[in-house]
Amino acid sequence: MIKKALCALPLALALAGFTSAHAGKAPEDILDELAAKSKSAYLVQSPQNRMMMPDNPAYEVIEEGEKLWKQKRGPKNATLEQCDFGKGPGVLKGAYVELPRYFPDTGKVMDLESRLVHCMKTLQGYTNDDPQIKQRHGNNTDVMKLMSYIAYQSSGMPWNPPMNHPLEKAYRDAGEALFYRRAGTLDFNCATCHTTTGGRIRASVLPNVKNPMEWTKAISWPAFRTSQENVRSSQHRVLECLWQMRYPNIRPDSDVMIAYISFWTDAARGQPAILPDLKR
Amino acid sequence: MIKKTPIAAVVAATASLALFTVGCTATGDKPATAAQPAQTQPAKPDYTKMSAVELAEYMVLQSGSYDLAQPTQEGTTGRDRLVQDEIQKICTDVARSGKEIDNKTADKVVALAQATIKYPEGGIKLGDWKKGRDIAWSGFGFRTAHNVDDHSRGAPGGNCYNCHQLGPDRTGGNLGPSLAGYGKLRGTSPEMLKYTYEVIYNPHSYFACTNMPRIGAKGVLTQQQILDVMAYLFDPESPVNK
Repeated sequence: MIKKALCALPLALALAGFTSAHAGKAPEDILDELAAKSKSAYLVQSPQNRMMMPDNPAYEVIEEGEKLWKQKRGPKNATLEQCDFGKGPGVLKGAYVELPRYFPDTGKVMDLESRLVHCMKTLQGYTNDDPQIKQRHGNNTDVMKLMSYIAYQSSGMPWNPPMNHPLEKAYRDAGEALFYRRAGTLDFNCATCHTTTGGRIRASVLPNVKNPMEWTKAISWPAFRTSQENVRSSQHRVLECLWQMRYPNIRPDSDVMIAYISFWTDAARGQPAILPDLKR
Repeated sequence: MIKKTPIAAVVAATASLALFTVGCTATGDKPATAAQPAQTQPAKPDYTKMSAVELAEYMVLQSGSYDLAQPTQEGTTGRDRLVQDEIQKICTDVARSGKEIDNKTADKVVALAQATIKYPEGGIKLGDWKKGRDIAWSGFGFRTAHNVDDHSRGAPGGNCYNCHQLGPDRTGGNLGPSLAGYGKLRGTSPEMLKYTYEVIYNPHSYFACTNMPRIGAKGVLTQQQILDVMAYLFDPESPVNK
């Protein structure tokens, strides 16, 4: 705790210029407004984490991501600045909240992570065997840094994944069917934990998928997790859920992964993304 | 090896072309080439022509999303964790309907569950409440995915505190009813012990399509561990009854 406070001080001073460069509201202000409107126990369960939000360690990871975005790298010695996340090459503002979406150039529905990896391969020449592509988790991976930076450009904007292409609907609806599919040693589905308001696992209040003002915080990743001392992604959150549900290992960018993320983003539609978030 | 007869060549070319078309949208990164002979993997179906439930099932068991061959602690595979049994299928249908379970379905589930119950030889005798407390508190066991629980380091727990309040000295969840004062409120008649054992062993025997895991029927806890947890619930000395 003391170590974190000491580390936070120089970071806070250094960030004074950084956060003002971003036009939107601070994530903690977005959270406070949602909490006041919804009176949700889930949103206010950790005053400690709320206090840490201005000094979120994720901001350092975002800064690293911005550098990587603009840096010429990989076998093709190219930057990522032409990467198209659905709103045009290099357009990052509002791109994250419109994912997952269908991409005509790949014929697939892709989330932030799978689309980023696609750009790292096609623009920069990385392959599946390269550590830059293989290593997805932890503050020190390129993928986490880049995702944190890209997602940050959508902070405060309403979740709005497109639902026009038949594949977009197919993934979203399959994700909903998966949400209710009971399986594993403990017969869990996502609904076991995520269809009550004020429901708790031990001391932790759970978000209700049917309550968009709660659910927007639930899906606001990348987020710094205090219990893991690392920024984590949406795909990491899905993996951790499946682990606790006693399901087997899931592959990154897989159909089930994209289906879950499609459904859960649609469930938060219209509510503002809180990025970067800070969680237990 | 393909015979070089005209018909076989056309068939091979057509199959390869179909695979080439499909391969461009497959999740793998190796593109098929038209010159290669037909491969053994089936073409990916059109996801937009499937129902949500069909597609979900395909994704789980056929899309390569999960490591279905991953070994489990109980000597099976990831596939076995994900293929649904009858109670899981019925309760999934109920969950997807968004409605309360109907009486006929509930009766069916209750009957299926009652048939699974195995009683301890020598009868239901309360075990050790201190062991039961540790079992109720521990959430260890049966996790695989990216971080496999090694059962040689310790027995799996029941994770009761995840969903239930029990002793006054620890924080339990509220997804299930509070069990504080369980024994004090109910007494320890043979009927009460039997009922409690049955609920823990297979809770669908009373609460069709409950969220509670089948602690005995799915082998989460052994019979002796269940009797220890029951002691934690019933023993007057247990914190649960203080």
